[in-house]
Amino acid sequence: MTDLGELFTARAALVVPAAIGAAAAAEARARLARRGYARYALVDRGSYDVVAEPDEAALCAALAALAADRLRPTPTAPRPTLAVVDARALRLGPGDFVLAHHDRVHEDRLLELVLDLSAAPVAGAEVHYRRGGQLYHRVAAAPGALSIVERDGGVTCHHTYVSRRQPDAVVRLVLRLRALAA
Amino acid sequence: MLRLGAAWDDEPALATAWRAARPFPHLIVDGALADDAVAELLAVVDEEPVWPYEADLFAFEATAPEPTTAELRALRAAWIAALTPRLARITGAAIGRADLRAYAYRPGHYLLPHTDHQAGLDRVLAYAYYLPSPAPPRGGELELYRCEVAADELVVTEPAAVIAPAPNRLVVFAVGTASLHQVREVLDGVRLSLAGWFYP
Repeated sequence: MTDLGELFTARAALVVPAAIGAAAAAEARARLARRGYARYALVDRGSYDVVAEPDEAALCAALAALAADRLRPTPTAPRPTLAVVDARALRLGPGDFVLAHHDRVHEDRLLELVLDLSAAPVAGAEVHYRRGGQLYHRVAAAPGALSIVERDGGVTCHHTYVSRRQPDAVVRLVLRLRALAA
Repeated sequence: MLRLGAAWDDEPALATAWRAARPFPHLIVDGALADDAVAELLAVVDEEPVWPYEADLFAFEATAPEPTTAELRALRAAWIAALTPRLARITGAAIGRADLRAYAYRPGHYLLPHTDHQAGLDRVLAYAYYLPSPAPPRGGELELYRCEVAADELVVTEPAAVIAPAPNRLVVFAVGTASLHQVREVLDGVRLSLAGWFYP
């Protein structure tokens, strides 16, 4: 296994727009809905719908390949192999949120990918990454966009409150990836 | 001296209401201040600058933790002097000091569920006093949750009570590991309040 720091010279935090098309996103949303969301409602931590095992191997592999391409230090550098550690799908409707202290702790370095599968932009529904309390990566609602963030124990993440003043839900596929030795 | 309303006259009834309140001890006092005191209080608060605050748990505007005007410091002292002995008698809590900040929740503002309990802070009672608003809010209710605790973690959280931010209403509740509450999102208008905690 290779440490991410050996692969990427700087800690990554970027957004790839239009990583998935609207039709493919709609198909993914439909598959997730068929698989079935469970409601998480311990509201001192979060309020959201979740598919804990989304069974989206092909989509996850494609996203991992895309991330590997984007994170190469130079276009000619060999593409690292990124393995999916786990994946889950979150659906946040009006009034929903995920607080930072509900975030999974990452003592080791890995990549977190967040794919926005929403049907339409949901104003103010964002994912925030903080280091030392300082916001350094803000993922705005943008259907089709893919956020790529390198995480370690010093990074926290939360999904902002979704306003009840609008009717739509945001759907996110969240993957964690680890680099494998070539 | 801050003049309290007649609602405080029957302390035994308030104490009974406190003990009977669910999901955790709380008190709702309508007409908490005399009418002239409300007007004086509004004039003082109006002079204090407010700042935006935003984190994963909240979005609102508030005055600084320490008042910037002598008038608000005086108001805080009067607030403590007027309420501390009464609340101590009604709730049975050993309290001696308090803090106070003014809050403005505008459309889209909220305070998500939390308990106020933090080790080392010694918060005994939390309070919110709702001011008359030039644009009365839709939303902004205080929602209380029934909780079950196991191994120092909440394992059940269920909505249990909703308290509207009615003008000149004071809400007080006991702070503990299960005093889970939130301020629902303000959908329209402005929710104005004074809030803080009483300490030993």
